[in-house]
Amino acid sequence: MTGEIAIRIRGVSHQFGEEGEARHVRALRDTSLDIARGELICLIGPSGCGKSTLLNVIGGLIAPTTGAVDVFGRRVAAPVPRDIAFVFQENALFPWNTVFENVNLGMIFQGVPRAEREARAQRALEAVGLKDFAQHYPAQLSGGMRQRAALARALSLETGILLMDEPFGALDEQTRMILGEDLSVLLARADKTIVFVTHSLGEATFLADRVAVFSARPGTIKKIIAVDEPHPRRPDFVTSAKFTAIRNELYALLHDEIRKTVAESSMNAAGRPGP
Amino acid sequence: MTSARAWRALQRPWIARIGVVVLLLCLWEIAARWWVDPMFLSPPSHVFASLPALFETRGVPAALRVTFWELAVAFALSVVIGLVIGLAVGLQPFARKSFMPIILLLYGTPQVTILPLFILYFGIGSASKIAFGVSHGFFPIAMLIVAGVQNIKPILLTSARAMGATRWQILRHVIFPHMIPSFFAGMRLAMTGVLLGVLLAELYVSTAGIGHFTTLFTQNFDPTRLLGLISVLAAMAIVLNEIVRRAELHFSRWHTD
Amino acid sequence: MRSRSDEREGRLASRAVQAAFLIALIVLWYLAATRWGVSPLLLPNPTAVLRDFWQILRTGEFLGDLRVTLTELAAAFAIAASCGVVAGYLISRSQYRIRVFEPLFAGIYSIPIILFLPLYVLFFGLGPASKIALGATIGFFPIALNTIAGFGYVDKTLVIAARSMGASDVQLFRYVLLPAALPVMLTGVRMGFTVALLSIIGSETIASLAGLGHRIVYLAEGMEMAPMFAYIVFVVAIAGLLNMLVSTLEARGRRR
Repeated sequence: MTGEIAIRIRGVSHQFGEEGEARHVRALRDTSLDIARGELICLIGPSGCGKSTLLNVIGGLIAPTTGAVDVFGRRVAAPVPRDIAFVFQENALFPWNTVFENVNLGMIFQGVPRAEREARAQRALEAVGLKDFAQHYPAQLSGGMRQRAALARALSLETGILLMDEPFGALDEQTRMILGEDLSVLLARADKTIVFVTHSLGEATFLADRVAVFSARPGTIKKIIAVDEPHPRRPDFVTSAKFTAIRNELYALLHDEIRKTVAESSMNAAGRPGP
Repeated sequence: MTSARAWRALQRPWIARIGVVVLLLCLWEIAARWWVDPMFLSPPSHVFASLPALFETRGVPAALRVTFWELAVAFALSVVIGLVIGLAVGLQPFARKSFMPIILLLYGTPQVTILPLFILYFGIGSASKIAFGVSHGFFPIAMLIVAGVQNIKPILLTSARAMGATRWQILRHVIFPHMIPSFFAGMRLAMTGVLLGVLLAELYVSTAGIGHFTTLFTQNFDPTRLLGLISVLAAMAIVLNEIVRRAELHFSRWHTD
Repeated sequence: MRSRSDEREGRLASRAVQAAFLIALIVLWYLAATRWGVSPLLLPNPTAVLRDFWQILRTGEFLGDLRVTLTELAAAFAIAASCGVVAGYLISRSQYRIRVFEPLFAGIYSIPIILFLPLYVLFFGLGPASKIALGATIGFFPIALNTIAGFGYVDKTLVIAARSMGASDVQLFRYVLLPAALPVMLTGVRMGFTVALLSIIGSETIASLAGLGHRIVYLAEGMEMAPMFAYIVFVVAIAGLLNMLVSTLEARGRRR
């Protein structure tokens, strides 16, 4: 972490639809945050608390109702493919292309010159461990490998910032564990700023330099917890006392918010309160 | 073959299927030889044996060629027209919402009622057969292309946008490849439609196509040659359908739905 | 993000375009027939068509042909439905039988069976029998195929659960298999009806002495364009009505 601010979020709030409409939703409420260059910050919170919305705002996919985001000093008003790359939860690979073609296509979109594409693609695939699967189609790969491919596509774009929206959310716990460890190793080598949305307390604690805990909808940052542990994180970090303490603190912060969210959604469904 | 081996061979479905077909052919043979007046039905052995004579009948090979040509032209036109309409309607949401209901309505009407109109307008030659075939064939292509463009997963478009793709790049690298399985599925249905349209028109009135001969053989109570001709046409239909089906499978290898 | 009112505006705009399209078509038709000198032998005056249409309805001259077509349809559908459901059910009882017969049926259904019309005419003559036979033949396949699909692919878990609760064969059929298979079966029955109707009108057009399809051909041969157009509209309307009826019954059956 160099101390330079990569992403500056100021007073961002967002609502979907108009007041009084059936689908009006206040997703995000007055959120401000400074993200330092090279840090990995996790956004964690109950369902619907706006963390994915915030990610989309940072990436220029959504224009916020109020507030603004500056990335490397420039105001974000649209996608910034040279500075920001996304990794989504699933299904973002083009199924009619092989893994290699998917990575290649991302670079075509970004505008990478033809001469550089092959080398970059190979580097990215090697970094995620998919060198031998370059000619496979996404349907032939497991969920974990597909997400590795998605990550390779994002890495090949060589952006300063990676926005990851629950990238391991659709995977089983064992795969998540492996991918989490590999991601930590990878990031120790690269100098990337990463915003990582997740539901998993353990994942957040293991990966993050800081964890931003969101409140229930309409969400805002309730508290930021620092995880002071160098990258790459060793696997036995998970069993350490420090890890457990941080994870417990996250649990305490989140539990009430989660209960609040569940109560609200069951109230909306049944028209009256109840679990 | 011993009965035990025969029984085990029968366990495989495709052998049993052939067995069913053979059984039906035997029933047909017996019925045609001993039960039914030969004026109305002819046994498969006769039909098969008389195939060379059928092809030597003056005009039959030419009629088959004409019919095949009508099918080919009608299919090609259906593909082009269906593609153009499908893209024009599918890529523009407003056009889709306005015109899809009209297309669906037209597709649902029984076109066979206006067959006499087609003959009146296009004449009794090949043009009317081709036109009627196109009229049946272009609908599924247009409709499936519209569906193919419409049901693209939004996240694929979002991904492309986030990576900086221009509108033209999205069209070329995302929408087009996604649409290809639908296009080929449409072509498979279009082949069925074109077969139906062209053959219906041929059976209705024909001077040089196979419809002429089906009428001739029917009026002359010649079930042998009629069955022969129909078998040849059925075989042609099966082959054409199979070609399009395989093309669809080949180009949809990545497709999961 | 589009709001509700935006969507409503969009829908109205689409409807407006559709209405404009229809009106433009009718206007063009009228102009072509009256002002632009298109021969009445090609395109009749729409007012004449309308007048003939009302006359047909008023005098009831359609009744004879309608009765023929509807009886043919009823008979063909009855045969196709009963044979199709029974055959489909019997085949669905065994995986082996499904693997043997389903591809066979699907293969036969994929060719235009109307091709066999001359055979049926040779065998049954030009009367209703050939139409009924062809309609029944064509209608059989979607009904049988969908019955196979309905009964043959019932979720095994449901069957196991019912058996574990002590269900007998009859109970299993009545409370598990039949309700599970019904939606798919009803769709097949609806498809069989539609396809039988189309094939009957088609065979009446090609080779018949009576019926609605024949009536249109008769008028075409006599170059009586206005009555022919009127009958075309009539037949399209009848077909549309029948299909709507059957679709509603299908939807009703599926909802239960």
